[in-house]
Amino acid sequence: MATEPATEYSFEGPAAFEEEAKREQVAGMGPWRLGLRRMRRNKVAILFGLLFVLLVAICVAAPLWANKVAHTTSAENHLSDTITVNGKKTNVVSLDGVPIGPQYFKADGKFFLGADGNGRDIMVRLLYGGRNSLLIGITAAFMTTILSIILGLVSGFFGGFTDGTIRAALDVLWSFPVIILGVALGVALALGGFKLGPISIQGDSLAIPILVIGVVYVPYMARPIRGQVLSLREKEFVEAARAQGAGPFRIMFTEMIPNLTSTILVFFTLLIANAVLLEAALSFLGAGVQPPEPSWGTMISDGVERIATAPHLTIVPGLMLVITVLSLNVFGDGIRDALDPRAKVRLEH
Amino acid sequence: MGYLGRRAVVLLVAALSMFVIAACGGDDDSGGGGGGGGGGEAKEGGSITISQTSQPDFLDPALSYTVNGWEPMWLVYTPLLAYPHKEGVEGSTLTAGLAESLPKVSSDGKTYELTLRKGLKYSDGSPVKATDFEHSIKRVLNLESGGSAFFLVIDGAQKYVDDGKKDADISGIDADDTSGKITIHLTTPDGSFSNVLAMNFASLVPGDTPFENLTKTPPPGVGPYKITESVPNREFVMQKNKFFNLPGFPKGHIDTITTKIIKSAEKQAQDVISGDLDYMQDPPPADIKPEVKAKYSDRYEEHTTSSTYYFFMNTRVAPFDKKEVREAVNYGIDKPGLARIFAGEVQPGCSFLPPGMPGYDEKLDVEDCPWGNPNDPPDLEKARQMIKDAGAEGAKVTVWSNNDDPSDKVGEAYADMLNKIGLKATPKIIDGGVYFQTIGSAKTAPQTGFANWFADFPHPKNFFFLVDGKSIQPTNNQNFGNVDDPEITKGIAELNQEPEVTDEVAAKWGDLNKKLVERGWVVPYGHRKLATFLSERMDFDNCSLFHPVYYNDYSSFCLK
Repeated sequence: MATEPATEYSFEGPAAFEEEAKREQVAGMGPWRLGLRRMRRNKVAILFGLLFVLLVAICVAAPLWANKVAHTTSAENHLSDTITVNGKKTNVVSLDGVPIGPQYFKADGKFFLGADGNGRDIMVRLLYGGRNSLLIGITAAFMTTILSIILGLVSGFFGGFTDGTIRAALDVLWSFPVIILGVALGVALALGGFKLGPISIQGDSLAIPILVIGVVYVPYMARPIRGQVLSLREKEFVEAARAQGAGPFRIMFTEMIPNLTSTILVFFTLLIANAVLLEAALSFLGAGVQPPEPSWGTMISDGVERIATAPHLTIVPGLMLVITVLSLNVFGDGIRDALDPRAKVRLEH
Repeated sequence: MGYLGRRAVVLLVAALSMFVIAACGGDDDSGGGGGGGGGGEAKEGGSITISQTSQPDFLDPALSYTVNGWEPMWLVYTPLLAYPHKEGVEGSTLTAGLAESLPKVSSDGKTYELTLRKGLKYSDGSPVKATDFEHSIKRVLNLESGGSAFFLVIDGAQKYVDDGKKDADISGIDADDTSGKITIHLTTPDGSFSNVLAMNFASLVPGDTPFENLTKTPPPGVGPYKITESVPNREFVMQKNKFFNLPGFPKGHIDTITTKIIKSAEKQAQDVISGDLDYMQDPPPADIKPEVKAKYSDRYEEHTTSSTYYFFMNTRVAPFDKKEVREAVNYGIDKPGLARIFAGEVQPGCSFLPPGMPGYDEKLDVEDCPWGNPNDPPDLEKARQMIKDAGAEGAKVTVWSNNDDPSDKVGEAYADMLNKIGLKATPKIIDGGVYFQTIGSAKTAPQTGFANWFADFPHPKNFFFLVDGKSIQPTNNQNFGNVDDPEITKGIAELNQEPEVTDEVAAKWGDLNKKLVERGWVVPYGHRKLATFLSERMDFDNCSLFHPVYYNDYSSFCLK
């Protein structure tokens, strides 16, 4: 549980950016161009960014592997099936319940990483699990971002009662540790689904973990945005816009959001990493992705039972998770350094 | 009642004849079996350390309703009636416990007369009195034990519960301390009541035993052992009871048995291998089992229990309201595949009544199974065609299961099997702690899902109430599929009146079982196996008895 503001952020404003630009002898260069120039210099961040893109590409190609190589789906059980390995028939799951280990290309790509206890192809589940994890991570991060921008802007710009109400609501959400809140919401919604007016989501839908993760991270982004808006609304260009007769929403969209873009972008990349991690944790605890849909979290959970004889069942999805989160974090740090080196944006919970 | 690993699990009647071995006779002076099948002398004395994965629900005979509790406690407490310490059918045949003989039952089946043996003493040395029986039953009812429903058939028991006065009398129980005579009046005949009297709940405890959960300080009992120390979630210690002398019952070989609670089944198995533990209650985990079977087969043995694993199909909800769909599911289930999920610890089968139960027909579990030999692959083509013919192709089905390992995997596999025959199934896995209440609620209206049952006592009634039309209720329904076959329901009602399960009565239960299976009301897919795994220093050959009702018999254990 956070004991102090979980999101650390310092906003220096355009003056700081100009100072920075002068120091780098790129006076007159726009912030995006300067950011791109800095980003190009950060080879490590680019490398990890490319690694993330590669991971996404591999996971998107999951159906190709499933249909053309493994000839199965992520949910299909092969409990009593046999495969031919080096010309010899082998049980996918032995009579004692021990699943086949990694076959790599010995069985023409079938059971490349072996099978789980239900005789499902681990490689196929890994790829589909990655699709689900990334889909949930990216969509939840997007949802958090949209909600946070709306709440942060409205709260910071209008102040008063509106600010007090929104801040109190965010404080209530913030007071719960992310995992505890996620598990509580995840379990409740997985059982009964989500119904709000005409909106109805089944309990086993991927939309449930997206909704849960999307909501629990809102305070961690909305509060710093609100703080930044509080600072921005006192700036001269906002006063000038107001003097020209611009309404509050126009000021928000035309004056404030452009000044929040770099912050939002940095938060977004970090949120994806955190959302992927939280999704894995919730799925590991049974409160995230529901069977038979795979996710890296559920795969780790399933593998734990067989860690002594089949450690790859746990290690492989764990490794994928580490690589994904690491690449997003390093890439996100790179974006932050490129757009606003003095900003100290990070998520803590 | 029993769902393994949750509440209520006590098994009866295991026992494929291949496991039935003559009991060791080395301890005949003290009566009873008490040994395995090696025929050698059992060594007396010594201490052993054994393990359970989780703490017994209670160490109080009035309350405990799990195998973790019953396995040790049947050696600490003895009811008026009991089961011999024998394997197989012998071990599931009722015998006199603290009573002098089996009860004398009136012609209307409503009055049971028993007489307490003379000279009995509790483990604290105090005398056993006939009135202690009524007090013991009062504790079961007053403490709202999971077993209280079994005793509500006693006249006045319901009133005792309703009044809520713990010292009130149960009008249907008369006991005389002088003569030791105990008379029990029932409101209606109950053919399984003798078995109920042999349940651990009915064990006698002193008349001044408080009306509270005594897990931390278990009350004295009559049995070969007494519990001398109980630290919940850590360990409990059983020592030999010097006052125990019940003809026909073993006195135990080991002096002190310490049961440790060790969460990791893997650690337990490794400790039994290394000798740090002498016995583990749960079977070795799937990870280690192949190694155990290969290297330590001289001290490892599996036993089929009196249990049935099955899928219920809600006959009141589409598509399972159609007979053809239910039959198609029976054809399409991959039973050998499901056995693999249980690491081979389920014997594929087709019979709803389990092995060892009166009325059980082994052939129904193999070649006479109307849906094909359960050891063979399923007939998917036929199942698919039947689903198509029934117009149920693509029908959405939610498969319910719980997150207790491996029930979740079974639920996922079952959903996949339904998909393979043309339905559109998705599993719904919920917490094991609320699973059976959830699917037992009419509001939930579950379509189909996982269920299992371990016998509480060797009487078919204990299984057939799960498919009895009269047992359907809106909440806590155990007839999950709302099976209501008029002929079967009528048959159950008639056979419940029989005071004794004679061969003829058993055959009638067997006929009902066959009808139930042939009509495809449920999908039984096997019977659970459990294991005995002992350390190197234990005498496995001579001193390991697997009891059909209470599993591994610690009183048979001895060191080499």
